[in-house]
Amino acid sequence: MKNKKAISFVAVLVISLFVLAACSDTGGSEEASSGDKKTVEFMHLWPEGSSAQHHKIVNDIISGFEEENPDISINLEVLSNEQYKDKIKVLSTSDKLPDVGMTWAAGYMEPYVEGDMYASLDDVINKDDFVSGTTEAFSVDGTTYGLPLELNTSYIFYNKAIFEEYGLEEPQTLEELKDIVATLNENDVTPIALGNKDAWTGSMWYMYLADRLSGNEDVLTNAINRENSFEDPALVQAAEEVQNLVGADAFVEGFNGLADEEAKSMFMAEQAAMYLIATWDLPNYTTNEDVSQEFRDNVGYFKFPTVGGNGNTNSYIGGTGVGLFVAENSDVKEEAKKFASYLVEQWGERAVTDVGVIPGTKVDAESMDLPEMYNNVLNDLNTAENITLYADVQMNAEDAQVHLDAIQALFGGEITPEEFAKRNEDALAGEE
Amino acid sequence: MRHIGYILLYTVLAFVAVFQIFPIIWLVLFSLKSNQEIFAGNPFALPTDPKWDNYLKVFEGGVGTYFWNSVWITVVATGLTILIASMATYTITRMHWKFSSLVLGIIMIGLMIPIHSALIPLYNMFLNVHLIDNPLSIIITYTTYNLPITVMILLGFYTTIPREIEEAAIIDGSSIHRMFFQIILPLSAPILSTTVIINMIYNWNEFVFVNTFISSDAFKTLTVGIQNFIGQYMTDWGAIGATLVISVLPIIIAFLFFSEKIMEGITASAVKG
Amino acid sequence: MNKIMSNKWIIFLYTFPALFLIGVLIVVPLILSGYFGLMDWDGISAMEFIGLENYMVALQDAKFWESAFHSFLLALFSALSLILYLIVALILASKIKGANLLRKIYLIPMLLSSVAIAQLWIKVYNPTNGMLNSVLIFFGVENPPNWLADPDIALYAIFIPIIWQYAGFYILIYYAALKNIPQSLIEAAKIDGASPVQIAMKMKIPLIMNVIKVTIVLSVVGSLKYFDLIYVMTGGGPNGASEVMASYMYKLAFESYDFGYGSAIGFLLLIITLIVTIIIRKLTATKEEIQY
Repeated sequence: MKNKKAISFVAVLVISLFVLAACSDTGGSEEASSGDKKTVEFMHLWPEGSSAQHHKIVNDIISGFEEENPDISINLEVLSNEQYKDKIKVLSTSDKLPDVGMTWAAGYMEPYVEGDMYASLDDVINKDDFVSGTTEAFSVDGTTYGLPLELNTSYIFYNKAIFEEYGLEEPQTLEELKDIVATLNENDVTPIALGNKDAWTGSMWYMYLADRLSGNEDVLTNAINRENSFEDPALVQAAEEVQNLVGADAFVEGFNGLADEEAKSMFMAEQAAMYLIATWDLPNYTTNEDVSQEFRDNVGYFKFPTVGGNGNTNSYIGGTGVGLFVAENSDVKEEAKKFASYLVEQWGERAVTDVGVIPGTKVDAESMDLPEMYNNVLNDLNTAENITLYADVQMNAEDAQVHLDAIQALFGGEITPEEFAKRNEDALAGEE
Repeated sequence: MRHIGYILLYTVLAFVAVFQIFPIIWLVLFSLKSNQEIFAGNPFALPTDPKWDNYLKVFEGGVGTYFWNSVWITVVATGLTILIASMATYTITRMHWKFSSLVLGIIMIGLMIPIHSALIPLYNMFLNVHLIDNPLSIIITYTTYNLPITVMILLGFYTTIPREIEEAAIIDGSSIHRMFFQIILPLSAPILSTTVIINMIYNWNEFVFVNTFISSDAFKTLTVGIQNFIGQYMTDWGAIGATLVISVLPIIIAFLFFSEKIMEGITASAVKG
Repeated sequence: MNKIMSNKWIIFLYTFPALFLIGVLIVVPLILSGYFGLMDWDGISAMEFIGLENYMVALQDAKFWESAFHSFLLALFSALSLILYLIVALILASKIKGANLLRKIYLIPMLLSSVAIAQLWIKVYNPTNGMLNSVLIFFGVENPPNWLADPDIALYAIFIPIIWQYAGFYILIYYAALKNIPQSLIEAAKIDGASPVQIAMKMKIPLIMNVIKVTIVLSVVGSLKYFDLIYVMTGGGPNGASEVMASYMYKLAFESYDFGYGSAIGFLLLIITLIVTIIIRKLTATKEEIQY
């Protein structure tokens, strides 16, 4: 008896695994074609817990869209940033991208475009609706593959209370910034919070220095798109300036081991006087109720100063954040495009007023009731003469990795400015 | 002299115990803080204004389904792993056949695979058999990926079981199945409960496979609760802390329970031996 | 006896489920990853067969060998730390008062997920607000190290949480093994006047030698493919100072879109681990046991 029982038990176990595997064939993917209703799969990276406002607006927009288009339903999946990137990567190897999803510009989307994964959006995009430069970042050879959702510029945010205490003023030049650093150091105040574990933060410092020093806002872009060498004297000199700042103890202790998030928290806990970051952080300094009112009132910002009389302070480091793509092999491509353009269109205004995100679409700031800092930033944007896209976004993924590693080594004093330039140059030249 | 030795021993033991208990206290404090306090304050400072709403946020995020999924997926996968691993270890260590070392070799190779190497091929395989977004894919994967380590742990113990026990059983006319289920499994109860604990911890905390193979909220597990609080530019660490506390509690309870089982198993086998 | 113990049908029945699952879900992906390693593939566009080029490049890739060296160091430290765990388990398994409670407390960190452990140790190592440096400054150390930012220290700093994370796992296994030793043997030795240290060295450890060998393999293999905390705490940085094989592979495949090369690295990782395991088994093999 026992014998048989055991055999049948094990047999059932093995068989059931097979049967279950076979049976489930009929489940899953088939509902897309059932009935007249078409399902558009949409993946985004704004989870409810961390991005409540983003999440809610997107849900509102989805219901609005489904109401207007009763024959289309949207199937939503939300992941966090890292997990989103990893999953997209896995999905793309099996050519199973969602119908609509989020993408980053330039270097990130290049392989997807080359691999024919993204559909051309030329038929649904009206470039006049977008801030100039944003759609270009999502274009390859004149065809647009992404609808930009965000636009950011970066500033040095500072703690007014600390500045006041030591009689400091917003610097106009790098020399003045260095004086501020010296004064703060004398008083045992950490001058600048920097989380260089995520080396893109240090890269922003480097990029600004290069931009100002050279007085040529295209100097870095030209090096990246190979019209110029990365060993350009201005690019080497900017690396030298980085090391000068490090040598002057401008940055927080141990910055190479700190995440941007840790640096941000130091700034927000008033343990550091300054912090260079992009405008996606504006809610923290204006509307975010989780941050104390006192601190929010204490935050000011200034444009990156000029260097040695060179540079245009109306030139910014920044650019588009995420945008929407439509999958080329989608079964419901038309519906997906319809949804993507609907979402971008609806997103614009609500993004500023409800979320505090500056959208890629043009918005009329005058008509909205916004915190002062937003108005100022939007005005700056109107007078902006140049926005240089983050170097690690411009570069393809492989070169970006080299660049970011080199940035860490440069800030850590492991390599000389010349070696820094050479490493970047070698990586960029390698693919030609 | 002996006394001083014991005092010294207990001092060291107590010191280590305090050190080991710290993480839980830290985690609870962590879960009641805001981001600024977490990153810029002293990790063991009491939160100035305990943020109980971190927990509220977690419950609002709908942990109910996730929790249930975590429980049943963990239980099923752990049960399957233990059973399948025990059977395989039994034949490898106790039975006589030519290919036992080859089979063990294959199982050991399973130890060596980095999961990121396996992710893309696995996704593709599950896609082909339509198991993507089906909890079965997770169960099968968890079961399989814990098999090698479970077999390895059992191996050392199965070899120590005296041959005489089996010989006696066979003389009594017992079949192999009976011997396995009624003698060997109960004899290995202490180590089985150890492997149960280890399997449970792994399955409970796993998130790479779930995130990759599952897309419907209905099948996701507790670890995605953590994902819910990681934003594009900002992460709500306090709420992540609360999620971690909520998810570690059942494991602690289960662990304490199984520790008792270990003791019981030992006493039981001691009586027999 | 022998006839029953070599019943082919039963061997098949008992071994097949494990073999089938591992074959399909682990061995096949491994072979595929070796195959992808022969391709120039970004994971998106069409694959292009390039033969052994990726493997050739990897063999000359200084970054790969550096990360392999880091992995080896981790394996070495993990294996050495087993001695410590064994001592703890020996103490806990002896009949001292409160052993039961202590054992439970000692295993607590093992229950935490890597996410929690990473956050904890990031706080420990924070250069300005961290626990470690606060203590060092309290004891008058000037300029305490920037643990995770200093390329000379970061790797070793990150070994500590990794080793600590697994302490409970090995203590648990050793404890179960020690409790499995028949009490009568130990009592007999005590009556013969053997000291606790003698009993441990001459009886307990030899009796659980099989288990110790298994744990050596587990810790070395686990270390060579280790990924979690490294990725979260330093991301392999600064500038590659704490890169290990698995994190390097992940970066290549998932961040640099060089899936072919990443797969090749993953496959080499397997080969290296396999060789190391065989060497360990040969070194620890004794005559009377079956050769695994």
